[in-house]
Amino acid sequence: MISLVSYLAISLLLFFIGLTLMIARKNIVAILLGIELILNAAALNFVAYSRFAASNIDGHIFSLFVIVIAAAEAAVGLAIVIHYFQLKETIHIDEATELRN
Amino acid sequence: MNTTIAEYFLSFDVFRSFVSRISLWLGTDVTPFIVFMIFLLGALVITLVLATVGGFGTYAERKISADIQARIGPNRVGPYGLFQLIADGIKMVSKEDIAPKTADLFLFYLAPFLAIFGVFSTFAVIPFGSGITLTDLNVGVFYLVAISSLVGVGVFLGGYASNSKWSMLGGMRGASQIISYEIPVTLSILAMVLLSGGMSFGQIVGSQGAFPHQWFLFHNPFSFIAFFVLFTGALAETNRAPFDLPEAESELVSGYHTEYTGMRFGLFALAEYVEVFVVSGVAVSLFLGGYNVPGEEFGHSLAGQGAQATVFFLKTCALYYVVIWIRWTFPRLRVDQLMVICWKYLTPIAIFNLVGCAVWLVVFDGKSMFELFFHH
Amino acid sequence: MYVNILFLTSALLTVGCAVAMLIARNIMHSCIFLLGTLIGIAGLYVTLGADFVAVTQTMVYVGGIVILMLFAVMLTGGKEFVSRAQKLLGLIPAMGNKWSFGIAFLTSFVFVLSQFVLIKNIVKGVEVTKEAKPFVSTVEEIGELLLTDHVLAFELSSVLLLGALIGAAIIARPRKERVAND
Repeated sequence: MISLVSYLAISLLLFFIGLTLMIARKNIVAILLGIELILNAAALNFVAYSRFAASNIDGHIFSLFVIVIAAAEAAVGLAIVIHYFQLKETIHIDEATELRN
Repeated sequence: MNTTIAEYFLSFDVFRSFVSRISLWLGTDVTPFIVFMIFLLGALVITLVLATVGGFGTYAERKISADIQARIGPNRVGPYGLFQLIADGIKMVSKEDIAPKTADLFLFYLAPFLAIFGVFSTFAVIPFGSGITLTDLNVGVFYLVAISSLVGVGVFLGGYASNSKWSMLGGMRGASQIISYEIPVTLSILAMVLLSGGMSFGQIVGSQGAFPHQWFLFHNPFSFIAFFVLFTGALAETNRAPFDLPEAESELVSGYHTEYTGMRFGLFALAEYVEVFVVSGVAVSLFLGGYNVPGEEFGHSLAGQGAQATVFFLKTCALYYVVIWIRWTFPRLRVDQLMVICWKYLTPIAIFNLVGCAVWLVVFDGKSMFELFFHH
Repeated sequence: MYVNILFLTSALLTVGCAVAMLIARNIMHSCIFLLGTLIGIAGLYVTLGADFVAVTQTMVYVGGIVILMLFAVMLTGGKEFVSRAQKLLGLIPAMGNKWSFGIAFLTSFVFVLSQFVLIKNIVKGVEVTKEAKPFVSTVEEIGELLLTDHVLAFELSSVLLLGALIGAAIIARPRKERVAND
């Protein structure tokens, strides 16, 4: 039952759900949630390939770096969201149309 | 060396022959099933025992505080009031379960379970004895730090979902306090991982000894400081006084669990008391020699296991007493003082300790202070 | 067999919570379902024998990112931002309608299929092992690899984290001069 394909299927589902969240929602935090899902799907793929198709564990290292980058992205992204909310009092993505003030 | 409780049981000939006889009788190999059952029973027993310990924690807290304030404390239910916790439990279960009308019900009901799940999941790696460890994960300490951060999510959600200003403030304070103090605690743990050369509790405890001069507490000056950093941070992570800002009675009614009644409040309280026991146990395993008893051969026998568990429980209860003692002795901090202590003092000290331990290992070739002074 | 049980539970948790994230109207609930998804993925890592990655996943996401997300949702209005106007199939809060989403899914399906055809030959060359390897600890190996083969990426990621730390602190700090002007 446990094969490479099952992991890839889960990863594909996660990727598409994340993509849908990113495209369909207008709340900036929801878009960041979608990005987290996509990054996780990629990391899962790395580990699955490293287990089934490679003899080394470089895939683990890659997924660790993916986690690090996700953390950095979440920190900066949420800081921007909070700052944007302080300026505009909304986190609707369509309101973000101006480059100044 | 045993890595799981199942392997410890299977290392006895009697037990192995028993398993093989059942296998013969049923016609298939039942070893995996037996191993699974051992894990299940072990998890059940440890959970029940530690939940009872958490219950006795409330009793101990009231008795010790009464002693400190020259009162008598609970003395009505049973001899010396020992059955007070049963009375409390019955009271909590039979109380009406109220949820505020404007609460976010899904999160309101979920939050206590997240908190209790985070605490109870840590039992999987707590080393009560060299054989009585559910599983000796090779990332044990790391796992414990990771899974116990679920408590922070539970506290935050409990505060948010109640839709009350006091709860909200308590939840925000709790979450920010827990994620801030995780940093000095993890750095101190990392220094001990460096000294023992592994992240499993078995290896960390195994590289210490039964006597104080073999403990990591007295390994070098940096680990001595690291113990106090860890202990302070652990107090803050479990929301104990003097860091009990999330539930500060005088300002926030009772913080993040103001709106909870009955058993849901009981789950939060149980999570808090058991977590104090867990962090005391971790401090004992990391710094105070853990379950070590004198004698190599003695430790593997059943009597040795009992002795190891007793030693572990005695040390942990001593630390537990110190925690309660601190609560009834020190005044509560302000929020800004709390953050200043974490970010301006504890974190730099913890980084300094980590670097110091690494330098000590290189310079003195991993020898402890005692070995340097007395063995030339 | 027990690995199979763990795999099934984790996969169900992962996919179920991800779908619930998509459907949930309340962004706070979405965050909590993200927590479930991430724990499920950690379980999947365990079935793959990646113990260190699984624990790192739990540590970074549960202890850090999810709490950050919850904070951000709360500080930006919380559940008041519930999109009621736009719904897909009466279920998923989304912009667009079923036609635009149908076309998008069809396009992405064709795209993924063509990608599969393109990389099929490359994948064929890779030998896929079927039987389970015996479980070995990956901690020591990861530690060695991080400080030998991947040391450049390791150092770069530390610089990245430092940059993110300072950047987040600078962006999110309260603007005193604006308050004075208002």
